[in-house]
Amino acid sequence: MRAILLLMAKDLRERVRDRSLFLLALVVPFGLAAVFSLVFKDVDTQAAPTFALADQDHGQIATAFAEQALRPLERRGVIRLRAAAGEREARAAVERRDADAAYVIPPGFSAAVTSGRPATIQVIGNAEAQIGSFVARSIADAFASEVRYVQVALAVKGSGTMEQAAAVPEPVTVEDLAAERRQLSVSEGFAAGMAVFFLFFTVQFGFSSILDERREGTLARLLAAPVPRAAIAVAKLLNGFVVGVAATAVLLVAAAPLLGARWGHPLGVGLLVVAGTLAATGVMAMVATVATTAERAANLQSIVAVLFGVLGGVFVPIQQLGGVFGALSLVTPHRWFLQGLADLHGEHAPVVAAVPTLALLAFGAVTTGVALLRSGRMVRP
Amino acid sequence: MTTLTAVWAIAWANLVRLFRDRSNLFFVVIFPIVLIAVFGLSFGSGFQPPLGVADADGGPQAARLVRALEQAGHRVVRVGSAEEARDGVERGRLAGALVIPAGYERALRGYVPLTLPYLGRNEPDALQLGAAVRAAVTRVTMPARAAAYARDGSFDELVARAEAAPAPGVTVAASTVGTATALAGMTGYDVAATSQLLLFMFLTSMNGATALIESRQLGVSRRMYATPVTSRGILLGEAAGRVGVALLQGLIIMAGSALLFGVRWGDPAGAVALLLAFALVGGGAGMLLGAAARTGQQATALGLLLALGLAAIGGAMVPLDFFSATLRRLAHLTPHAWALDGFAELLRRDGTLADVLPQLGVLAAYAAAFFALGAWRLRKALTAGP
Repeated sequence: MRAILLLMAKDLRERVRDRSLFLLALVVPFGLAAVFSLVFKDVDTQAAPTFALADQDHGQIATAFAEQALRPLERRGVIRLRAAAGEREARAAVERRDADAAYVIPPGFSAAVTSGRPATIQVIGNAEAQIGSFVARSIADAFASEVRYVQVALAVKGSGTMEQAAAVPEPVTVEDLAAERRQLSVSEGFAAGMAVFFLFFTVQFGFSSILDERREGTLARLLAAPVPRAAIAVAKLLNGFVVGVAATAVLLVAAAPLLGARWGHPLGVGLLVVAGTLAATGVMAMVATVATTAERAANLQSIVAVLFGVLGGVFVPIQQLGGVFGALSLVTPHRWFLQGLADLHGEHAPVVAAVPTLALLAFGAVTTGVALLRSGRMVRP
Repeated sequence: MTTLTAVWAIAWANLVRLFRDRSNLFFVVIFPIVLIAVFGLSFGSGFQPPLGVADADGGPQAARLVRALEQAGHRVVRVGSAEEARDGVERGRLAGALVIPAGYERALRGYVPLTLPYLGRNEPDALQLGAAVRAAVTRVTMPARAAAYARDGSFDELVARAEAAPAPGVTVAASTVGTATALAGMTGYDVAATSQLLLFMFLTSMNGATALIESRQLGVSRRMYATPVTSRGILLGEAAGRVGVALLQGLIIMAGSALLFGVRWGDPAGAVALLLAFALVGGGAGMLLGAAARTGQQATALGLLLALGLAAIGGAMVPLDFFSATLRRLAHLTPHAWALDGFAELLRRDGTLADVLPQLGVLAAYAAAFFALGAWRLRKALTAGP
C-alpha cells in the first residue's frame, strides 16, 4: 500500500512539473466548459427569426394572414416582422440577411381565394438561415391549410361566411408536454457528452505512462526495487482515476453557472462520475496492454475513445438508429453515463441513478481485471 | 539527396512505423466502416427520426391518423402506452411521441375539441418533427372540423362530403435566395455529416503530435536534423504520412456513405478539394502542437482542447445557422467554419470547385501558417540544449 502511494505521489509530482496535470485536470475541462457556454448557451433559447412581409394585395385574406397567422406569433416573441414595399425589396432584405425569410403576397390574392381560384403565397428563404426559413414555411403551410378548411367547410354547408367557418375550433390540437422530465437540455447534453468523451482521454494519463517509463529506462529501476509489479500497475491506474474524477468534476461544476446546467442530486452525480471514471480507466488500460510503445498506445486509445464516443451517442443520437446500433451503444460506458445524468434530471428524479451506475461499475471491474491480468506484458524492463 | 526525397523517406519511415502495429491497421479500416454506417444511417437519404405513437383509442379515426402520419413519410413506431412513449423519448429511442387518448373517436364524433399530448426530444430535428406532426394532425382532422361547422347530417356523411369538396386552397411557393432550389427537400441539418467528418478528422490529426514528440524523444528528429534536411523538410515528412492517412480515411467515409446510403457531400471535385485542404490544416496543426508541446501528455491535453473547442466554436457541433452575428464572426477564426462554409456552398447552392476557391484559399493559408510556425518551433526544439 505504501509503495502504491509513493509511486502515485512520484508520478503526480512529475506531472505537476511538466504542467500536464494542471492542463488536464483544470485548464482543458474549464476551457471546454467556457467554449461550450459560448456556443451552446443560446441553442436552447433560439433567437426569434425575422420575416419581411410584402403585401401587394391588401385584401381580406392577405390581411387575415398578417393579423391571424403572423401577429400573434410576433406578440409572443416567436418571430419578428418587418414590412417590405414589394417583392424586390423583400428579396433584397433576405439577401442582406436583414430578414431570414420573406413572404410575398401577389396582387389579386384575396380575390382568387374568395372566388375559389388557385392562389399562391411566395416564401423566400435565405439558404444560410435554414431554421428561420423552415419556420417561415411552416407558418405559411398552416395558413394554407386553414384557407383550405374554410373553403371545404363553406362547400359542405353551402352557406355561411368565412368568419363563421374560421370560428369553429380545431377538433384536435397537439400540445407539447412540459419539458420537466428526465432529459438533458441541448446544452446539458453537449456538455455531458463532451465530459464523458474527454474523460476517456484524461484517464490515459495514468496507466499508459508505464510505457513512457519503460522507454526512459526508469521502469527497469522500479522493477529492481522491492516493489511488487502489481503495485506499479495499480498505482498508475489510480493516478488516471484521480485525474479523471477531478477533470470531470471541474467540467460539470463549471458548466453549472456557465451553461445554466442543472445536474441533479450531487450524491448521485458524484457516484456516477466515480463509476464512469472507473469504467474509462479500465477500458483505456485494457487497450494500452495491447500496445508496445507509448505512441501506439495513444493512437489506439484515441481511436477506441472516438469509436466508443460515436457508438455511445456523444456526437449523433445513435439510439434512434435502433437495431444493431441501439444494441452496440449499450456496450459503451458513454451511453450509460449519459443515461445516468438524464435519469437524475428533473423535479422527481431519484437521488441515485442505480442501473447506469451499476452498469458502469461492472464495466470498470471487468476491464480493470483484464488490464491487470495482462499488465505483466507491460511491466517489464 | 533532394529535400523531396528526404521528405518522402521520412514519410515512408513514419508510415512503416505506424502500420507495423497490426492493431493500428485494424482500426484504420474499422473506424471508417463504423463512421460510414453511422453517418449513412443518420444523415443518409433513408433516415427518418422515429416517431412513437401510442394509440389508446383504437378506433377507425385514430387508425386513419396513424396511417396519415405513415403516408407523410414518418417512421412510425407503435408503442403500447403513454408511459412507454414517454420512456422511449426520455431514453432517446424516439425523437418524439404522440399520444392518442382513449375517447378520441367519441370526441371527434361528438364535436368535442380535445388535445393530443406530444413529447419531443431536446434535439434540433425533433423541432421539425413536432411541426410536421402538427401539420399532419390538422390535415387529417380538417374534414371533421368542416363537419363540426356544417352539422346538418351524420358525422360520416359530412366527412365524406368534406373529403369530396373541391378546395383550390393556397399554394406555398418556397424558394431560396441566390438559387432556384426549393426549400422543400432541405433541412437545417444537411451539413451535419460534413461537420461531423471535419470534427473527427481534426481530432485524429491531433494525434500526429504524439508521433512527432515520440520521434523527438527517441532522438530520431535530432539525427535527421544532423543530415542536410531543413526542419521544414523534417516536419513535412513527419506530416505527409499522417495527412495521407487522414485524407484516405476521409475519402473512404465520404465515398462509402454517399454510395451506400446516399449521404450528400456536394460536387465531388469541390468536396475532395475541401477535404484535402482541411487534412493539410489538421496535419499542420498537429505538427505545430508536436513541435511546441514538451511531452505526450501535454500534447494529448492541448490537442483535445483544440480539437473539441475549435469544432464547437467553428460550428461543427451546432450549425452556424444557430449562431449570432458576433459569434459567427468569431467562428470564422477557426478553419472549421471556413470548411463548413465551403461544404454549405456545395450542398445548398450546388456550387462547384470554382465556387469554393475562397474557402480553399483560406484553408491553404491556415495550413501554410501552421507548417511555418511548426518548422520554426521544431528548429528551436532541436537546436536547444537537451
